[in-house]
Amino acid sequence: MSKNLSLKAELRERTGSRQAAAARLRGRLPAVVYGHKKDALAVSIDAHDFAEGLHHGHRLLDLKVGGTTETVLIKDLQYDHLGRDLVHVDLQRVDVTELVRVVVPIELKGTAEGTHHGGIIEEHVDRLEVECSVTDIPESIAVSVKDVKVGDALHAGQVALPAGIKLVSSPELVLVTCHLVAAAKTAEQAEEEAPAAPEVIGEAERAARAAQQAEQG
Amino acid sequence: MAMMPKRVKHRKSQRGRVRGNAARCNYVAFGEYGLQVLEPSWITARQIEAGRVAATHFLRREGKVYMRIFPHKPVSAKPLETRMGKGKGEPEFWVARVRPGQVCFEIGGVEEDIAKQALLRVAHKMPVRCRFVRRRHSL
Repeated sequence: MSKNLSLKAELRERTGSRQAAAARLRGRLPAVVYGHKKDALAVSIDAHDFAEGLHHGHRLLDLKVGGTTETVLIKDLQYDHLGRDLVHVDLQRVDVTELVRVVVPIELKGTAEGTHHGGIIEEHVDRLEVECSVTDIPESIAVSVKDVKVGDALHAGQVALPAGIKLVSSPELVLVTCHLVAAAKTAEQAEEEAPAAPEVIGEAERAARAAQQAEQG
Repeated sequence: MAMMPKRVKHRKSQRGRVRGNAARCNYVAFGEYGLQVLEPSWITARQIEAGRVAATHFLRREGKVYMRIFPHKPVSAKPLETRMGKGKGEPEFWVARVRPGQVCFEIGGVEEDIAKQALLRVAHKMPVRCRFVRRRHSL
């Protein structure tokens, strides 16, 4: 499967939230194209075609703007408040030969040893920033958690990256930990621990000051 | 009362209105699966606690439950058979203000079908329509 998705973009002559909302109603997705020290372009692309391409794992697009075709990388996506629909996309101009920094999701593989001893796997970070060639951007990075025991942590530096991919995130970044689950508090315990009423900030000082004034008066 | 702040700046607050949509806290950040609120509402401390108990009871010490909302807002009420006036009533309970899109509960460390069943039980304790959401691996 070719990684480059071809899309036609229309220039957005009028920008702003109202114009963008009108474009979305017409089935267009507002986007911005930037990079390579050229002017940023406000464009719109077909929302359905783009969403389909994204679903199939495309990260690179051949974007036809006006009479020219540019290779662009999907840099950022914005979703609506429910996380259902795309509302905007950032596209960065790239050359097929250049190295880019991209964020790639990690995929946990295997069952951790610690889970057999009552532990649970907690995923602290679900993506890694890596540097790689534009044409070799992986869909995901497989992280094996087989050897993780209770109390262990798996760091970004321990992940075996595919050839040609360099880690940009800190190697000490904790990706996964395995720990025992603490006993949950019962409703009664929580009720006993909770104070009857919260402390009001500055109320004690105000009361002391009022008492002092009353004494003086 | 299950949850309430330890310290507050003011003992009572005005009612206000829940307007707009959640611009933050609207994605699964800690666990792998979450429960997203679809309507603006107040969720009381009791309802949050009921949701927590329902989820932890169902999971039986498997996985981890994250609560993403906290009841910061005091709601006052007047005692029964009291004449109107004589000032605002005393705080009765605490609520969390939620907007559409807010993720209120999250679960991690369990399979999807288990998380779905646990969050369905939580959703029954909520006073609003909710939906099950997964962590989105954004770019």
